[in-house]
Amino acid sequence: MVQRQSQSQIQVTPGRLFENYPALDGTFDEMFEFGGPRPPFARVAQLIDKIGKDELAKFQALAESSLLQRGVTFSVYSDSRGTEKIFPFCLLPRLIAAGDWVKLERGLQQRLRALGLFLDDIYGEQKIVAAGVLPGEMLQGASAYMPMLRGLKPPGGVRTHISGIDLIRDPSGTWRVLEDNLRTPSGVSYVMENRQLSKRMFPRVFDAARVHRVDHYPTRLVETLRSVSPVTGGDTHAVVLTPGPYNSAYFEHTFLARTMGLELVQAPDLFVDQDKVFCRTTRGPRRVDVIYRRTDETFLDPDVFRPDSVLGVRGLMRAYAAGNVALANAPGNGVADDKAIYPFVHDMIRYYLGEEPLLEQVKTYVCLRDDDRRYVLEHLGEMVVKAVDEAGGYGMLMGPQSTAEQRDEFRRRITAEPRRYIAQHRVELSSCPTWIGDKGRVEPRRVDLRPYILTSREGPWVLPGGLTRVALVEGSYVVNSSQGGGSKDTWVLKETA
Amino acid sequence: MISRVADHCFWFGRYVERAESTARMLSATANLALDAELPPAHVWRPVIVVSGEESEFLARVAEGADDHPAWGDGELVQRFMVWDEQNGVSLARSIIGARWNARSIREVLSLEVWEATNELHLWMRSNEAQQVYGRERDAFYAHVRRSTQLTLGLLRSTMLHDEALNFVWLGVLLERVNQTARMLDVHHHAFTHLPDLNEIIEIAVWVTLLRALSGSEAYMKRAPGRVASETVARFLISERAFPRSIAYCVHAAYERLKDLRPPDAHDLPGGQSLERLRVLDTWVEARIKEPLTGASVHELLTHVVDEVHAICGTLGTELLA
Repeated sequence: MVQRQSQSQIQVTPGRLFENYPALDGTFDEMFEFGGPRPPFARVAQLIDKIGKDELAKFQALAESSLLQRGVTFSVYSDSRGTEKIFPFCLLPRLIAAGDWVKLERGLQQRLRALGLFLDDIYGEQKIVAAGVLPGEMLQGASAYMPMLRGLKPPGGVRTHISGIDLIRDPSGTWRVLEDNLRTPSGVSYVMENRQLSKRMFPRVFDAARVHRVDHYPTRLVETLRSVSPVTGGDTHAVVLTPGPYNSAYFEHTFLARTMGLELVQAPDLFVDQDKVFCRTTRGPRRVDVIYRRTDETFLDPDVFRPDSVLGVRGLMRAYAAGNVALANAPGNGVADDKAIYPFVHDMIRYYLGEEPLLEQVKTYVCLRDDDRRYVLEHLGEMVVKAVDEAGGYGMLMGPQSTAEQRDEFRRRITAEPRRYIAQHRVELSSCPTWIGDKGRVEPRRVDLRPYILTSREGPWVLPGGLTRVALVEGSYVVNSSQGGGSKDTWVLKETA
Repeated sequence: MISRVADHCFWFGRYVERAESTARMLSATANLALDAELPPAHVWRPVIVVSGEESEFLARVAEGADDHPAWGDGELVQRFMVWDEQNGVSLARSIIGARWNARSIREVLSLEVWEATNELHLWMRSNEAQQVYGRERDAFYAHVRRSTQLTLGLLRSTMLHDEALNFVWLGVLLERVNQTARMLDVHHHAFTHLPDLNEIIEIAVWVTLLRALSGSEAYMKRAPGRVASETVARFLISERAFPRSIAYCVHAAYERLKDLRPPDAHDLPGGQSLERLRVLDTWVEARIKEPLTGASVHELLTHVVDEVHAICGTLGTELLA
């Protein structure tokens, strides 16, 4: 089945999918180990293998045209002619064993509980700084920290209603948290759309594989939003706030509004009167209690964040402060997913929960520290340097693939603004069998995993699986959709009876 | 419902209806051109006049000349009315408009309605559409008509019959009144003034108008074998049972708006639009009882077009902004 197949138990038949699968050296492959499929996946791998190359090519083309027909697209640029692209998608699923998932789920819940307590603390008494667990200078330099929100308790006591934690696997197969996304993580609609495609294209394989379902996410999300409503009883009016059809994640905003049965609003549809939020409707103003905002927090309220901005809803933050409207996620969360705060999350878990961390992280050099910075500058060619407040693969130096000019540029930037940069050794991200249409064969490509966690008043809940992002370009480590990344359906297998 | 969303619903309905009626008009006209024995400009020019884009066509296609051969060139007229994206009422523009409004309210439309709209949009951009247009013109128009009819049908069969659908349908009906009134007015004017029209050609011309409004079979059921300008005009204006007649559309639009904004709900916005639509409905009702002459048809249709235009304006300020 694989090239190094001395111990393979599976018959190789020409034309089968995994024929001559060229596993990468020094990389953990999600489906295969030396000689054959990993034991929990043996049965499913064999079923997928049997689909064969010709059939898979056909299914893949069908899946792509279906995504286009259904308008599962992102806007390429602002153009009313509607230039849109589909998010590249590989039909071959990424599998996660039941045992692995149980551990991940617990680790993610633990992490979210600690991050929530950290946010409460940092916008409250800041005991963690007083206790010397988090150096005060780390907090002072955090551009995402919003001092004006200090002392403010969010409705329902929840701040991280929706989060996405990016996980990777190192060559030993150990899962590690790469970064936390606690502001407005996107991508969950693709989890559900990808699942629809898997079910349509591989009904028999899917059925035999016994996979945890994902389509109850919208129901759980709407429950989460209602759980933090300032009004009691069933009268909560919750809305989804989008920047509009030109936003690259607009499909997802409409998807969530549609599947939750909530109204999708834009900022000009809302206004604030006497610290209460209203929506402009054909029957006059209507009160709004909960806003799932998919807009950047700096565009929420021009009174507070950007006086020059015409975007946003004037007075929204006053209404929020008065406890009259819940915002999901709470503004100000960026301080907890700041990449220079990330190295301290294990300490947070020990400090707030008195527990040992269940999920590993990636060793991180904080350029603000003199020793770390010296090391980073001396080893730039081996490291991945990231700006602490950027996402989507931007503001990043991939040392091993960089040019001398790029390294010089980052040396200047790090020296000028050390607090803005962290660095990590490049992790050999795990690989996953991926259909390469141009070559008509399956090859390994590197992947990560973004599970989605909903936190209600009752605590965190993890959607089984999440979005597997795959670097489709050969040799690439960058999985972001803005930079040649695609996605896969993620199958969390149920415990075998 | 959010006013901005209501606005998208309304315009979605208008664009879908406009695309359908444009396709129907072009297909009926192309059919007439084959054996009408009329000067080509008499066949094709009315298409441009009905669309309200005469000056645009004059400037960009007919090189500023009123007697330019382009006015009678079926291929040029069709290209202008189908593909020209600078022409605000071309099929291409209507389909883009329908799809753009649909995309802005995807959470409001059912998945089926969205898919039907999106598929037509993608098809219009495909090579297949170009090939069908070049090879088999009528199949091209049939495809557009069937897709838009599918959308209109799915709206009723897959969506909640509540506010959103009422706004879509209000857009459909007001657009339809406009189309019927303009087509009848232009044809009535053009063909009752032709000096030596023989009877056979006259029948062909009026049947074409009825076909362009999907009304030829319905008309025959009401007036078997009697095709004349006066009876056709009367049918298209006052036949209550015909869903494209002026009387039907105005009354149905009034009923939709009454649903959205009941006459006694004085605290809700929309009162002026409702009153104006009620007055128009009563006016049409009274007028259709009187005899119709050539002049009174023109005057009636002009009044209807002007009033519909004004009502759309009032709706815009009262409900959709």
